[in-house]
Amino acid sequence: MKRGHVWKATLLLMAGWWVISALLLPAPAAARDIKVGIVDTYSGPAAVFGNDALNGFKLAVDEINKQGVLGGKIVFTTRDEQFKVDIGLNMAKELVMKENVDVLVGTINSGASMAISEAVAKKEKVPFFVWTAKSENITGKAGHRYVFSTAENTAMAGKSAAVALSQKPFKKFWIAGDDYEYGHALADAAWRNLSKIKPEAETIGKTWWKPGEPDLIPYLTAIQAAKPDCIIFATGGLSMANVLKAIKATGMKTPAWIHTATDHSVLKPLGMNAPEGVMGTIQYHYYYPDLAANKKFVKDFQAAYGNPPGFPAFNAYTTAQLIAEGFRAAGQIDKEKFIDAVEGLKVDTPVGKVEMRACDHQAVYPMFLGTTKISKEFGGAISSDIITLRGAEVMPSCEEIAQARKAK
Amino acid sequence: MDVTITFAGFFSQVLVGLSRAMILFIVSSGLSFILGVLRVPNVAHGSLYMIGAFTAHGIAVLLGEGMVGFLAAMIVAPLVVALISLIAERALFSHLYEREHLMLLLFTFSLALILGDLTKMTWGADYRSLVAPPVLQGSVSIFDTAVPRYNLFLLVVGPLVAVALYLFSSKTKIGKIARAAAVDREMVGAIGINVSWVFAFAFVLGCFLAGLGGALVAPTVSITLGMDHTVIIEAFLIVIIGGLGNIWGAMVGSLIFGVSQSLGVLLWPQFAIVFPYLAVVVILTLKPTGLLKSVW
Amino acid sequence: MEKKLNFARSGFLWSAMLFLVLLLVPFFAARFYVYILGLIFARALLAMSLNLLVGHGGIYQFHHAVFYGVGAYTAGLILAKTPLPAGMALLAGPLMAAVAGLIIGLFCVRLNKLYFGMLQISLGSLVWIIALRWYSLTAGDDGIHGIPVPDVISGATPTYYFLLFVAAACLVVMYLILKSPFGVTLRAIRDNPQRCEAVGINVRRHQLLAIVIASFFAGVAGVLYVVLEGSIFPDMLFWVLSLEIFIMCLLGGWFTFFGPVVGAAIMVFLQTFVGSYTEYWTFVLGIVLILLIFFLPEGIMGINFREWARIRSRRASAQAAD
Repeated sequence: MKRGHVWKATLLLMAGWWVISALLLPAPAAARDIKVGIVDTYSGPAAVFGNDALNGFKLAVDEINKQGVLGGKIVFTTRDEQFKVDIGLNMAKELVMKENVDVLVGTINSGASMAISEAVAKKEKVPFFVWTAKSENITGKAGHRYVFSTAENTAMAGKSAAVALSQKPFKKFWIAGDDYEYGHALADAAWRNLSKIKPEAETIGKTWWKPGEPDLIPYLTAIQAAKPDCIIFATGGLSMANVLKAIKATGMKTPAWIHTATDHSVLKPLGMNAPEGVMGTIQYHYYYPDLAANKKFVKDFQAAYGNPPGFPAFNAYTTAQLIAEGFRAAGQIDKEKFIDAVEGLKVDTPVGKVEMRACDHQAVYPMFLGTTKISKEFGGAISSDIITLRGAEVMPSCEEIAQARKAK
Repeated sequence: MDVTITFAGFFSQVLVGLSRAMILFIVSSGLSFILGVLRVPNVAHGSLYMIGAFTAHGIAVLLGEGMVGFLAAMIVAPLVVALISLIAERALFSHLYEREHLMLLLFTFSLALILGDLTKMTWGADYRSLVAPPVLQGSVSIFDTAVPRYNLFLLVVGPLVAVALYLFSSKTKIGKIARAAAVDREMVGAIGINVSWVFAFAFVLGCFLAGLGGALVAPTVSITLGMDHTVIIEAFLIVIIGGLGNIWGAMVGSLIFGVSQSLGVLLWPQFAIVFPYLAVVVILTLKPTGLLKSVW
Repeated sequence: MEKKLNFARSGFLWSAMLFLVLLLVPFFAARFYVYILGLIFARALLAMSLNLLVGHGGIYQFHHAVFYGVGAYTAGLILAKTPLPAGMALLAGPLMAAVAGLIIGLFCVRLNKLYFGMLQISLGSLVWIIALRWYSLTAGDDGIHGIPVPDVISGATPTYYFLLFVAAACLVVMYLILKSPFGVTLRAIRDNPQRCEAVGINVRRHQLLAIVIASFFAGVAGVLYVVLEGSIFPDMLFWVLSLEIFIMCLLGGWFTFFGPVVGAAIMVFLQTFVGSYTEYWTFVLGIVLILLIFFLPEGIMGINFREWARIRSRRASAQAAD
């Protein structure tokens, strides 16, 4: 065959190939993937919560992507803020301005969450879900259209404490805790609500220690000498184990309430040496409630990561559901439509249906109040005699939120 | 604070401060030793303390948390830390002794960063909790107040370490050589002693003490990443107020630090954290080279 | 060997060209890079202010972040909590920082080297504790966010130009100060304090003045950060940040003029871009620093310095041979 003919033949074949493939191949999907940017702490003592949340989110997203959302998948990328506000801000800006994420989620650091909420979420108009940080200001007085919370906050914890403690015959209370924003907010919320429900309750003393203070025994012995009916502890992750250790070491019998005392990640390292009889509230246990959804969640999580999920994983799982259902309801990858769709949305979670309240963008979680008790089967303490407080009982009202935001 | 200051309360606070001081002493004596002989602030000291705590936990859990596990942890963990520091010293640090001091500081800082992340890679981010062996658990009642047995244990161990260090540095040949090298390294080199090995020895001993401090503190705190940051600044301040390179200075500094903080808690809990820093400011203003004689 | 101020005439040309390029950046770069450059400007100014003391003065300023934080908190608090005009806030920041520098400097300047540094850490930590615990004023460890920045300098591009011009102006002023007789004296004090005393120079007063100047510029850097991010938080006063700034100076070359700028750029780059690839970025930083210590001990700018030293010594020997 002559050279010229070879060329013509090749060209014809190529043209034919393009025509055939254009007819046979499906048209490129108009859909694209939903990009989620995660800023959280993956170094330092708070990293254990960041990892737990990421695992919960991953598990949920894997499930969701089997079905897909709006023809695409949910993809995510993580950034480590090292529990520092400036790095958190930097990373959030990078995710929004460089990676062009559709949704931001994170973090455990309340300061970073509020900074990101103002400088990135509000300014860049990107929806931001705070999934572990517990400051009530996030959806309270500093709340706005572009920030959501799928974490429980100090206001909810405080009100749960109040509801729980008002039902007991305690009158004289002692307040003790970590001397930082979280501790004070928790104590204020607890006392604010308790004194409303039970006016005859009185605080006979307050003690504040440095967060992470290792030796709390002298504080406890001093407090016990004053003989309160009950002690309200306002401690964060760092001091939690130290408080429980000190309670066990002094053999304290005074009733005590600590938010997240019944958290598995707190009790597990203490093993059989955890104290019994301590009251705690938390929005998630992997062993309660005994719902099918929870059992499946725990089983899948355990299979994937080798340990049971904690509350950050639960919060993150709920967040993933909200993102998926929100975009599905919006019908397109549009941030404003997404926000409108998520307001008031109810999603399925391991503890049942959870609503994202429209007036303040706060997830409405039930709170589980229990008492620590050693269980040989679990190799340590778990929460027992659990009472469920419904979300509506423990949330601040929409009017209170509106007032707080106006006052700012 | 609304608590009345009873004698029992005061007494138990002082005891707490003293036992905290013992841990601080062990850690800062190592730092002081390194600073004295090598003239380098070892920023990695905190990371080695943290590794000591994690390793102690690992060993104790491996051998069951009884007395055997505890003793093994207390002995092996500091040795592991010493080994790590020996490797770092021989492979990298020893080549830098001729450099500017700021470069040596930069090196120890880089080492701190690397060790910190290595700890995360090895042990992950979870909290760990170590329990003291049964004989050291619980508390005894002294003057009508509950004193944890482990604190009493620390009050015994601390002075023992101090005495051992003192005997070592003043009675043994190598201790005396190290002290001489701290004062005048050229002279020591001139009389034929390999100064590089003296430095290696001093560095490893100092880091061994950091590891020991971490192992001893493990049953009393949550073992977490970030332990390195909290202890390093305290150790540095103690070394400064005690006098550089002075072991007894480290003891005095630790006592001041530990007791002033715990008494501060009794008197002004909200700002108790201020007291040790205030003490440092006062001491350095009145006696700029530290309370006891500095080796430099 | 006297370490001269390394800034030949061609260096001036390079700086002018760099400035021109930076002026044009917002026109062709994505918004994120504009933001990152702004962050580098603020950090670079901070590192430069520290190097005034460490590199050029031989002063062990171990807690420089305090002055940065004081500047930022002053400006931030005035902007967020008072109806005073923004200009006042932006000026008050550096002034308060200079005052803090004066007070802390008075305490510390009587001591030498390591003691100076440690006393400064203690005093600086007291300031940090106050910022941390005085909730009603500073919102404690949560910090204050969403600080209202005046409209004329808010928004990606206006903020960028504000930061660029302020930082550049400060650098020019710093250069002039270092070239002035004051700067010469400072370097002489760094190299041989006893001889300076013997010649009648009041070493302490010079050092104190240097500290106040450096604190002022650190305060400016703090104000720039507030304008960029709109947040203030106690970490800005924490000793870890002081150590980071110190590292920036050592990384870039602490006896060159532009060294700290390079160091700051590298640190921000590592934090941002390496941080987006691995969670172990501090490990990477540690490795990079160790490599630098072994192979580039004078810092990044040190490469140039050695080149210049070689060129100058060649020229000198050539002249001598004539």
